[in-house]
Amino acid sequence: MTDNPRILSSTESVCPICFSRIGAQRVQIENDVYLVKTCPQHGEFKTIVWRGPTPAFTEWVRPKIPSHPSNPFTPVERGCPFDCGLCADHHQQTCTALIEVTQRCDLRCNYCFASAGSANVPDPDLTHIEYLYRRLLETGTQPNLQISGGEPTLRDDLPDIIALGRSLGFQFIQLNTHGLRLARDREYVRRLKEAGLSSVFLQFDGTDDEILKTIRGVRQLERKRAAIAHCAEFDLGVVLVPVLIPGVNTHNLGAIIAFALDHFPTVRGVHFQPITYLGRFPHAPADSDRITIPEVIRLIEAQTQGALRVENFTTSGCENALCSLHGNFVVMPDGKLRPWINQQPNTSCCIPQPAAVGAEKTRQFVAQHWAPPPPTSGSMIALDSIDSSSFGEWDRFLARTKTHSFCISGMAFQDVWNLDLERLRDCCIHTVSPDGRVIPFCAYNLTSQSGATLYRGQMLPVEALL
Amino acid sequence: MTAHTGFSPKETPWVCGQCDIPLVLTPVDVGYMGNAFPVELWKCPNCGLVFVPEELALGKMLEVEKQLEDK
Repeated sequence: MTDNPRILSSTESVCPICFSRIGAQRVQIENDVYLVKTCPQHGEFKTIVWRGPTPAFTEWVRPKIPSHPSNPFTPVERGCPFDCGLCADHHQQTCTALIEVTQRCDLRCNYCFASAGSANVPDPDLTHIEYLYRRLLETGTQPNLQISGGEPTLRDDLPDIIALGRSLGFQFIQLNTHGLRLARDREYVRRLKEAGLSSVFLQFDGTDDEILKTIRGVRQLERKRAAIAHCAEFDLGVVLVPVLIPGVNTHNLGAIIAFALDHFPTVRGVHFQPITYLGRFPHAPADSDRITIPEVIRLIEAQTQGALRVENFTTSGCENALCSLHGNFVVMPDGKLRPWINQQPNTSCCIPQPAAVGAEKTRQFVAQHWAPPPPTSGSMIALDSIDSSSFGEWDRFLARTKTHSFCISGMAFQDVWNLDLERLRDCCIHTVSPDGRVIPFCAYNLTSQSGATLYRGQMLPVEALL
Repeated sequence: MTAHTGFSPKETPWVCGQCDIPLVLTPVDVGYMGNAFPVELWKCPNCGLVFVPEELALGKMLEVEKQLEDK
């Protein structure tokens, strides 16, 4: 390895100060990769995007054939990232759609992608939410839904919002929440389940109250436990969602995974989110304020004493490869995890698949593995009765992947400093804006160094939509 | 490998073409993406050649691949 910077490839980004679209390069320096870009007016910006040799940046690929929106809502005029809605130049259809049902929040976290609680915005009523649902259906896909905010559980009519989504045909609805109401209001959890909620995406930054206090301002670990207990009682799947912040909770990944396993099968997995500087954050980040995908994977290996290993993780056929990681496991009868794979697939040589095929697979995977497991999972009788003569232990293992799966995944969102427009074009996680546009999550929440937004709070008149 | 007629249910219809001896049901490690489990397959006791029937390759083995392909 040489100390000399080596340009690996080129892409585009925006200036963190003025949002001008500018060229950018992925540059390798020793074992690290940086996004380097220069604004003619505001100078050079260099941001770490990949630290370390394992897994290798150049091998973390999954080529795809772009699947453009079948019914774009906005015209291609100014080019990416200024035409989101989606426009016809986008390369992926919607896998997961976020509907923000409130901008209110009863926490005031130091970090919040959505800047929740910052503005006094009235909640959308059910008629408006139905409009947002129907806009999604107009795209020609039926994505998984994530009810988000703000803190959605501040709404007493959340069960009605979920029931409405189900009545319109959405099969998998997940609730993005800090869980505090789920902890104190058992009856509310029951009503959410009855309304058709599938899964809870539970903010869970660590197993130590000091971590929670630092990030969320409140010690709340016992309330997280109570929320999970209520979800268990009413058969809701739970995914723990830690935001990873260097120096705050990056020592806690192994403990978080162990906590999740202690609460299996209610807790179906852990979804790590390396900190991204979108919305509200304390200050513009230095590279030391960032943790990248390979570091997350290596920390998982180190903090699980090698029980989970780097080679158990791979990237996705849905979003851009550089946006995510995932490893799937089976909880074996002795409580240990057995990985689905023990070697990283050589995805660089694969025949590219249409992106829409990857989106559909991910929709199905999430719906199956983040929802409660099938009823037989609590019983070993069904598994033991499998005729093992046909394909031996493989039959038992495959059966267990359906009933005892445990998923560890992560999504590296992008901010104005590390924004790579190739990645953004491949985005499959979209927010439905109040005016009915469908906007990639990172574009919707993109925040300039001075706090200006590109989309959030910027409504388009109806006549501007296709 | 050649077909062998007149076998009992416990015997294979196949003999090893190279060694000219009947294949024997033997636990064989079948692996996919670094994950391996023992499966009883017909194997030549002499040279170790394993016979994978077409229905197994296109059935269960394909199912393993599809199931673990995830997303």
